[in-house]
Amino acid sequence: MRWFALAALLVGVALAIVTCERSAPRAEVTFSSADVFTLDAQRMSYMQDLRVARAILEGLCTVDPDTNEPRPGVASSWEVAPDGRTWTFHLRDDARWTTGEPVTSDDFRQSWRRLLLPDTAADYSALLFGIRGAEEFFAWRTNALAARSAQGQTDWESARALWDESLDRFDSLVGLRAPDPKTLVVELEAPTPYWADLCAFPTLSPIHQPTLKRFERLDPVSGRMGYEPGWTKPGTLVTNGPLRLVSWQYKRGMRLERNPTYHTPHAVECESVSILPIEDANTAVLAYESGALDWVSDLTADFRADLAAAARKWLDRHRVAYDALIARGLGVDAALAALPAPEPSLGERNDVHALSAFGTDFWSFNCRPNLSDGSVNPFADKRVRRAFALAVDKVALTTQVTRLSEPVATTLVPRGSIPGYESPTGLTHDVERARRELASAGWIDRDKDGLVENELGEPFPVVDMLYMTGNPRVKNIAIALAAMWRDALGVPCELRGKDGKFAKEDLRQGNFMVARGGWYGDYADPTTFLDLSKTGNGNNDRAFSNQEFDSLLDQAAAELDPSARMALLTRAERLLVEDEMPILPLCQYVTLYMYDPSKIHGLSRHPRLSQPLWRLHRVGADPVESSP
Amino acid sequence: MTTLVVRRLLQVPLVVASVLVITFALIWLIPGNPMEQEGRRPPPEIERAMAAQYQLDSPAAFLGAYAARVSGVGWVLGWNDRPFDLGPSMRHPDWTVNEIIAAGFPVSATIGLGAILIALVIGTLAGLVGGLRPGSWADGATQSVALVGISLPSFVVGSLALVLVCAKWRLLPVAGWGSPSHAILPMIVLSLPFAAYISRLLRFGLAEQMTTDHLRTARAKGLSRSQAAWRHALKNALLPVLSYIGPATAAAMTGSFVVEKVFAVPGLGRHFVEGVLGKDITLVMGIVLVYATMLVVLNLVVDVLYAWVDPRIDLAGGATTTG
Repeated sequence: MRWFALAALLVGVALAIVTCERSAPRAEVTFSSADVFTLDAQRMSYMQDLRVARAILEGLCTVDPDTNEPRPGVASSWEVAPDGRTWTFHLRDDARWTTGEPVTSDDFRQSWRRLLLPDTAADYSALLFGIRGAEEFFAWRTNALAARSAQGQTDWESARALWDESLDRFDSLVGLRAPDPKTLVVELEAPTPYWADLCAFPTLSPIHQPTLKRFERLDPVSGRMGYEPGWTKPGTLVTNGPLRLVSWQYKRGMRLERNPTYHTPHAVECESVSILPIEDANTAVLAYESGALDWVSDLTADFRADLAAAARKWLDRHRVAYDALIARGLGVDAALAALPAPEPSLGERNDVHALSAFGTDFWSFNCRPNLSDGSVNPFADKRVRRAFALAVDKVALTTQVTRLSEPVATTLVPRGSIPGYESPTGLTHDVERARRELASAGWIDRDKDGLVENELGEPFPVVDMLYMTGNPRVKNIAIALAAMWRDALGVPCELRGKDGKFAKEDLRQGNFMVARGGWYGDYADPTTFLDLSKTGNGNNDRAFSNQEFDSLLDQAAAELDPSARMALLTRAERLLVEDEMPILPLCQYVTLYMYDPSKIHGLSRHPRLSQPLWRLHRVGADPVESSP
Repeated sequence: MTTLVVRRLLQVPLVVASVLVITFALIWLIPGNPMEQEGRRPPPEIERAMAAQYQLDSPAAFLGAYAARVSGVGWVLGWNDRPFDLGPSMRHPDWTVNEIIAAGFPVSATIGLGAILIALVIGTLAGLVGGLRPGSWADGATQSVALVGISLPSFVVGSLALVLVCAKWRLLPVAGWGSPSHAILPMIVLSLPFAAYISRLLRFGLAEQMTTDHLRTARAKGLSRSQAAWRHALKNALLPVLSYIGPATAAAMTGSFVVEKVFAVPGLGRHFVEGVLGKDITLVMGIVLVYATMLVVLNLVVDVLYAWVDPRIDLAGGATTTG
């Protein structure tokens, strides 16, 4: 008994020590999000990382959160040479790091060089391949490192010598110059009208070089330049954005506060935000209900369709008043906040918001002539692909299967998401035409058994439908598609659910007939979606290859006139979604937010969903309470 | 006894090293690369650069460098700056595995140990109630509750507790970590299956002991039922509980993944499962190192305790003497 009492005492003391942390006052806005992977801007690729980077770092340009048009960031202005290839950026004088030092053009040059170096192994290195000589430099350094390893060199001196040579090589090869501390000149391989938008992408943000230097470590064995973890921690990380990092604990949370050295303090409406990584979807909802969260940034609970329906019910009841408020020029949140409160007895709520995202949910058709087992692939025939696409009732999918009423998609580029781009029509639901297309490919129900056969009497092979397990929405869509294809076309379908990494491997190997896919755009240009179908693209799981399509993209890349360029891209997409059909677009992705519009202001509804954290603020008389 | 303990301690590195090699082989077989994101892959040349950065292009080179770095050999030879360096997490490159474990282990250990203590209190009480009067209504009631405790999965109990205690009655905070109030509910939820099991072990052990000859003698000499149980039956009846406590403590400290996820507690279990799903090789190996060491050591502790409680057990010789 004495032992037990002692053990209990010890655990009690340990509990008090482990759990008690210095508690900061509750942040102005607290929200849940997937955990941030890295604050190393150049190595980022996840949405939640990029969102934080936009708040704590500022690139040459920024994008307007509501219109997504490029705006001046650290660069106050820029000029493009008449050939569309040389961009000259002028940096503002008052751009400062959190240390008070000025942000210089050389900070950008070195950060972009770091993004480009294979040593950094950045997911988004290729964003810079548009700069003259950039791809060549990447390949040169990669080969030089491989050659050094092949020679068995593992000494520090040779690693250093190669590193110094690489820096010289960068200066001579790559079209990136900083003639003075406030000017950056970028020479591109081809005219790139969306270059300003790319300059706002967080991986192109500047990194404070003196801080980075302290953590740099050249590995004598591999010859690579690496960095000790630690330079991105609070207290060490130096940034230049509207907010600054105050605390960050692995999977416990992060806190950002107003950056006093930011050049335009009045643009920052937020004093502090706190990010809690709550991974369990139901727990996030409960935390919101209990008041611990102000905003659930990705509502994924299984019952979310019901929550969204409750919000639609409320809005439908006040539709006239809402439309009138919007017509008067109010923003969506302001209009929602002005409506009468929801009636819980009617099952209504006003805090669930379905926002269209800059991404398309689709299924892929395998376009290879043969399947991985060597048999003939019926989907190599575009008439079969078109038949399968025409047989899908997308409205039924979004209203009865996912029940989230996502905008139905007939194109890959989300309709209306890119200014100046006119989307093609695409194929709509038409079962009669679907059957005709399939018959023209030779698949007809010859023996009247309800299933189609070819002229040799062989039945249509069982359609192998690959999807990733773990998300009920994906599985439900797969089941519905199988039923639609069976009923409309008379083809047998079989679902094959696999864990993410394994499914990805099958996709890479082409081991599927049709497979679930999806894509989020990175920058405001149709090519962010269309490149996916280019011959040899690393994400072209379908192995789709069409000369006319590739050539249209190449022509567009060389076209100087923006509207002619967009017209070429429209033609390319029309070829894709009306004729060739390697991809079957289902709907635009929808992200569900949970927040009370009468309490939280500043969230953007633009599909890019790059939420401006520095604009978030609390409204009304609701006082900011202290956390326990 | 001392020789035994020393010998068993010397085996620890061997066992742990074998477990690590097996873990490495298994996680290596998962396709894909830890740096890639769901739904997209970078151009092939960048993918190769990613693999080369962490020596993922050669398992032998990876394992060799890892062994040198972790064992401290690399430090002695001047290859590494620090000994016992588990390296950076592959998916969370801003954190070293040492940092992640240093932050996560105390959390899991606190919840796990707290849960076992709670389980001991509840389990022993319930077991005594039933064991002293087998077949009584109290016995039936406690054992039925225990059966429910064993059968209900933690995510059901956890979610239910969250809805009622945190969201509805607002007695405790819903999620997170930072004050003792955050730890209470996860501990209780985690303790329930262990408590149920302990109560059943004790109840059956005690009921059996109560029918033995020496107990009957003790009763005949005038001891009351509870006195006899307390002085002569309980110690023997506790033996199975004791042998269960070792693995149970290890299981509570390492297997609290579900509870950690439901309550958003930043413990090691959650990091481990996410590491496996994301193929975060360094993180998974680091946590396996901790888990394996802990399991081996806890088992040793239980063996020693066992010998102490029951002198008939001779650990060193392996033979059982009658006494």
